[in-house]
Amino acid sequence: MTSLVPHVVNGLTLGLLFALIALGFTLIVGVMEVINLAHGSLFTLGAYLALSTIGAGWFSGTPFGIWWLDLPMASRYFIGLALGPVLAGAAGMLLELCLRPTYGKAPLYGLLLTFGAAIVVEEAIRLIWGTGEQNMPVPQMISGAFLMGGLIFSTYKFYAAGFAIVAILMVWLFLERTPYGAIIKAGAHDSEMVRALGYDLARLRLIVFGFGSALAGIAGMVMAPIWGLRPHLGIDVVIPAFLIIVIGGVGSFWGAVAAALLVGMATGITGAYAPAWSLMSMYILLIAIVGFRARGLLGRRSALEN
Amino acid sequence: MAQSKISRRRLLTTAAAATGGMAFMGPWMHTRVYAQATAKPIRIGITSDASGQYANSGAEDRRGMMMAIAEANAKGGVLGRKIETFHLDTETTPATGSRVAERMITRENCGFLVGAIHSGVANAISQVAQKYGVIYLNTNSSAPSEAGQNCHRVKFVFDANGSNFAKAAVQASIEKFGKKWVLLTNDYVWGHSTAAATKALLKQFGGEMIEEILVPQGTRDFSSQLLKIQQLKPGAVAAAIGGDDQKAMRQQIAQLGMGDKTAWINNQQDWPDVYGLPLDNLFGVFGTTWYYNLDLPGVADFVKRYKTMFPDTAIKVPGNVFYNGYWAVRELLGAIERAGSTNNIKVIKALEGHKMPARDRMQHHDAWIDPVTHQVQQSIYLATANVGTKDPDDMFKILGNTSPQEALDPDASGACKLESYESTPTFDA
Repeated sequence: MTSLVPHVVNGLTLGLLFALIALGFTLIVGVMEVINLAHGSLFTLGAYLALSTIGAGWFSGTPFGIWWLDLPMASRYFIGLALGPVLAGAAGMLLELCLRPTYGKAPLYGLLLTFGAAIVVEEAIRLIWGTGEQNMPVPQMISGAFLMGGLIFSTYKFYAAGFAIVAILMVWLFLERTPYGAIIKAGAHDSEMVRALGYDLARLRLIVFGFGSALAGIAGMVMAPIWGLRPHLGIDVVIPAFLIIVIGGVGSFWGAVAAALLVGMATGITGAYAPAWSLMSMYILLIAIVGFRARGLLGRRSALEN
Repeated sequence: MAQSKISRRRLLTTAAAATGGMAFMGPWMHTRVYAQATAKPIRIGITSDASGQYANSGAEDRRGMMMAIAEANAKGGVLGRKIETFHLDTETTPATGSRVAERMITRENCGFLVGAIHSGVANAISQVAQKYGVIYLNTNSSAPSEAGQNCHRVKFVFDANGSNFAKAAVQASIEKFGKKWVLLTNDYVWGHSTAAATKALLKQFGGEMIEEILVPQGTRDFSSQLLKIQQLKPGAVAAAIGGDDQKAMRQQIAQLGMGDKTAWINNQQDWPDVYGLPLDNLFGVFGTTWYYNLDLPGVADFVKRYKTMFPDTAIKVPGNVFYNGYWAVRELLGAIERAGSTNNIKVIKALEGHKMPARDRMQHHDAWIDPVTHQVQQSIYLATANVGTKDPDDMFKILGNTSPQEALDPDASGACKLESYESTPTFDA
């Protein structure tokens, strides 16, 4: 049994990372009812933009670039952590403007548009940064490894899991404890009423999409040192994110977090004891949960269930 | 006097019938019958992956082929015919590989197919190629089964395989690192057949496999597997993990500092998978078929030609994947020259048993195309990270080389049953 403990700990950290990946996706689906298939590409874009920020990017070789690279790695990393997601959020806002003609139409239109956007973003990354593998540097203070119970664990992974907890709580506090969060939630429940009360619904959607995309960018930057960074990284993100919101219940914030933890535990433990099933385990979990409870763990009851 | 007059309707009907008839005969027939008599270009279908797990290696594979074709065309082509290429993405997916091969042969009139990284894709393509008798060069997929139970008369395998690399590494590693091994195996045909070869060698040389950890393709988080390895405390870990999976694994092992705490025997290390990564990601011992810094005649010139042709590519120097893509096409074109024909059976016979001097191939030992398995038997190099290098491109330190005779896969010839010449469709490309 003692040998199981490290795998449970590992599964929980993995679950928190999955929650971070799914956070922006959940927000956009929950509030706007748009399945954003470009989520993975925005995740990757955020990471690449952060990478360029850390490494001086296009200013490399200029006096500014030389001055920039003289700054401590930690400073550049945390500026990258802010700037990369902000720019990914801006790209998300641009995508939302393109999405507007699809509102009120069949969901397939939005789905196809975001699918197309995913390909465009991925190809743009390939053109700008090249096709090869990139290495995201991390500050000394969060790199390396530590011993726990005689086993080596990655310091960075625990930092990333801690970061995920903070991000989840911040998003929840924003939605639950700020007036703007209340408007966003109200917009998700009854957009016509929100509009009738004088709020600019178009601006609200723009901000939500931008916020969700920025969260994708944050997740990209945090995950890149673990998963590596390459243009098609996005494909590894969309499927788990989608599974998590379905398992958790579409639109349920805490449902998505609980689902991410379950997926992390399932992947982590099968990875140790039945590794050939580790990727399959999340699909089995999906079938098991949705089979017994179609609306997911904490999803709202459908009218069809009454 | 009756006047012969063709009405407009009759003219149109005749023209339509003629066009329809030509369409029915199809470009396929046209190519096959008249190709030899005309200077019609030789059309090669490039079947390398441009997306998915092996997209990066696929691009390097393709660059190798393109350089060989550009050099041949600069000399006037082969048999007086220029070489044309047609590329479709095989998406690192066997089903797509089948579709691409079918289309290239039946609709795009490709007389030869070249390119593979993923062994499942290579196997799928070769089944279609055999059906039509089209010669297919598997450039870079290295499952032992490709020259074993999945061999075909039309298929030639240019990379060394998992069994060759294992033969070069396992015995010495047992002596150095101990008998207890864990196998970390990508859960598809290359991983499985490479692991089977390693297991056989462990048994032969007194080693013991204490666990085999199967890693599904597409795995991005290896923390569970790495914890498990720590718990098992093996003497060595034989890893057969490829492409993006391997990149993620290397990064995570480096983060944990496990690279020098466990003896890692990485079966084969494709250059595009590690190029540009920090050296601490390049731990353990690994195999390759070629390195751009080998101190052999011709290597410097080959590297210079690469740099001239691809000045903007992110990979600044050629690696094993490029090398195999290049040599596969070079040998195909050489075989057409020797055969004096593009007839598939004649070209197959020109390739079978063909000997390639070490000096030409820029390796330490002479190579040959095994007539029984259709695999290129060649030198194997064992390498490790070139710690302390000042040149960012010079990532490998070559530890030694093994001759093709020593690295020969003993089971391949028994497992491979080539189709007869008679049962292979024949045509002129």
